Amino acid sequence: MISRGIVVGQYYPVNSLVHSLDPRAKIVISMIFMVVLFVGNNFYSFAVAGTFAVLAVTLSKIPWKVLIRGLRPIVFIMLFTTALHLFLTPGPAIFQIGPLKASWPGLIQGLFIGIRLIILIVFTSLLTLTTSPIELTDGLEDILKPFSRIGVPAHEIAMMMTIALRFIPTLLEEADRIMKAQMSRGADFESGNMIQRAKSLVPLLVPLFVSAFRRADELAMAMEARCYRGGEGRTRMRQLRLSGGDYLALGLTIIMSALVIYTRIRFGPVIPRGTL
Amino acid sequence: MPIEVSNLTHTYMKGTTSEVTAISGVSFRIEDGEFVGLIGATGSGKSTLIQHLNGLLRPTSGTVLVDGVDIWSKGVSLKQIRRKIGLVFQYPEQQVFEETVYDDIAFGPRNLGFSQAEVEARVEKACELVGLDKELLPRSPFELSGGQVRRVAIAGILAIQPKVLILDEPTAGLDPKGRMEILDNIKQLHETGMTVILVSHNMDDVARLCERVMVLEKGTLVFDGPAREVFTQREFLYSKQLRPPEVTLLMEKLRQRGWAVRQDVLTVEEAYAEIMKELRKKGVAGAI
Repeated sequence: MISRGIVVGQYYPVNSLVHSLDPRAKIVISMIFMVVLFVGNNFYSFAVAGTFAVLAVTLSKIPWKVLIRGLRPIVFIMLFTTALHLFLTPGPAIFQIGPLKASWPGLIQGLFIGIRLIILIVFTSLLTLTTSPIELTDGLEDILKPFSRIGVPAHEIAMMMTIALRFIPTLLEEADRIMKAQMSRGADFESGNMIQRAKSLVPLLVPLFVSAFRRADELAMAMEARCYRGGEGRTRMRQLRLSGGDYLALGLTIIMSALVIYTRIRFGPVIPRGTL
Repeated sequence: MPIEVSNLTHTYMKGTTSEVTAISGVSFRIEDGEFVGLIGATGSGKSTLIQHLNGLLRPTSGTVLVDGVDIWSKGVSLKQIRRKIGLVFQYPEQQVFEETVYDDIAFGPRNLGFSQAEVEARVEKACELVGLDKELLPRSPFELSGGQVRRVAIAGILAIQPKVLILDEPTAGLDPKGRMEILDNIKQLHETGMTVILVSHNMDDVARLCERVMVLEKGTLVFDGPAREVFTQREFLYSKQLRPPEVTLLMEKLRQRGWAVRQDVLTVEEAYAEIMKELRKKGVAGAI
C-alpha cells in the first residue's frame, strides 16, 4: 500500500512558538515576507530577511535537515536560473565556453536570484510545516471572509480544501487497490511506450473516477443529513484568537520590512543602474 | 501447482516512523485441489497475505514458492504467475471499467495476448461458470445490479483460467440470494478441480465450504488445520475476535441441555441429521 502513513502537506508536529501562532497571523506574515523579499534589491536586504527567516526556523524547532530536503525538488530550477543569469548578463568576462560568456555582473545577479529563491522556499515552507492543514484552511477562511462581500465564496473555498485534503489518502489507497486488481487481470502499468502507458491508465482512471463521484455523492448526502447548509451562522469547535505572541510576531515582521525598505533606499540595487 | 509460503514477513513503510508489520513469520503449504478458508479479525493481515500469493506484494523477508519456484527469483514472469493464480479483490465490481460486460470480462485474456476466437471462448466459459446470462454481454456493466456486476468481475478473473482462485470476501455487501448463488458457483468451481482460497468474515460460509481453515491473528498464523477442529474450539475463536458458525453454537446449546448430539457439526444439513437421530432415539420423531 503506497499510501500507508502518508502525510498530507508536510506538517511537522512538534511543540514550538511558531506552531502555536494563530494560522491567520502566519499566513499574513508569509505574504508580507514574500513581498518584502522582492522589495529587497541587494545583499543587505537579504541579510535582514535571512536573519528573520533563520530566527523563525530556530523558534519553530523544525530540523534544518527537513527544510533542506524541501529544497531538493527546486534545486534544478535554482541552478537553471542562476546559470541563465550568469551567462546572459553582459559585462566583464570571467571565463568563456564557446559563444557562452560568464560575466561578473552575471555571477552576482545569479547568486542574488539563487539566494532569494532559497530564502523564499525556506520561509514559506515553514508555513505548511508548522500549521496543520485544518488550521491552515480555517485561517484562510477567516482571511477571505471580508472578500465575501464582493462575491468570494470564502467558506466554500475552505470547505473544498478541507475535503480535498481529507480525501487524498483515501484516493491514493483506492488507486493502489484498483491498480492491483487490474494487475491481477494481467494489466501492465510499467512497460511499453508513452501511448501504450497512457492507454494502460484507462483501467485505473475509469474506476477511480466512478468511485470518486460516488464518494462525493455519499459525502454530500452525509453532510446534508447532519444539516450542513454552508458557512452562514456556523460556529467553530476551535475558535481562532489572536494572542500576544501573534501581535509580537506581526510587529517583528513589520520592523523587518521597514529595515529591508531602508536597505533598499540606503544601498540601492546589487548591480548599480547604468553599469550594464 | 502447490503454493508454499515460508517464513513470510511483510512490513509496510519499512524504515520510517510509521512502520507496520502486517505479516510476521507465516509458513504454510497449499496442495492442488484444496479448499482453504482464511479467517481472522479485521486488520489481522489476511488481505496482505493473499496479495503475496500472486506477486502483488513483495515479501520483506521469506519466500513464496509456486510449483517449487520462488516467484521473486530472476527470470520469473509475474504475469505468468498471475495467470495461474487468480485473485478476486474485495468489492471487485469497483474495478470494472469497460463499456460492455463482454469487454470487461475479456480484459484479462486480451492482456495475455490470446486470439479473438480464444478470447470469445474464454468469456463464454467464464460466463457459464458464474451463471451470467449471455444476453447481458453487450450491456454496460454500470447498468447491472450489485450481484450481477460482482459476477462479471469474478468472471473477469475466471476468463484468465487460473489454477488457483483466491477470493477476498466475495459475498460482502450482497443480498442473501446473491450470496448463496456466488457461494454455489465457488463450490462448483472447486468441484471442477480448482484450488480455492476463501477469505471471509462469515463463519457460516467458511464452515459450509472449506475443508481446511487458517486463522490469522495480528499477522501470525495461529491455527492451520481441519475446519471441524477449529470451529468446535469456541474459546479459542472468541479470543481471536471470531465465533463458531451458528449451527455449531446450536449444537453446543443442545449438548448443554443433555442431548447426545455431535458437537463438530458445521452445516444445517448435518445439524438436521443429528437432531433427527436424537429425536428418533427419544421416540418423538414421528410427531414432527
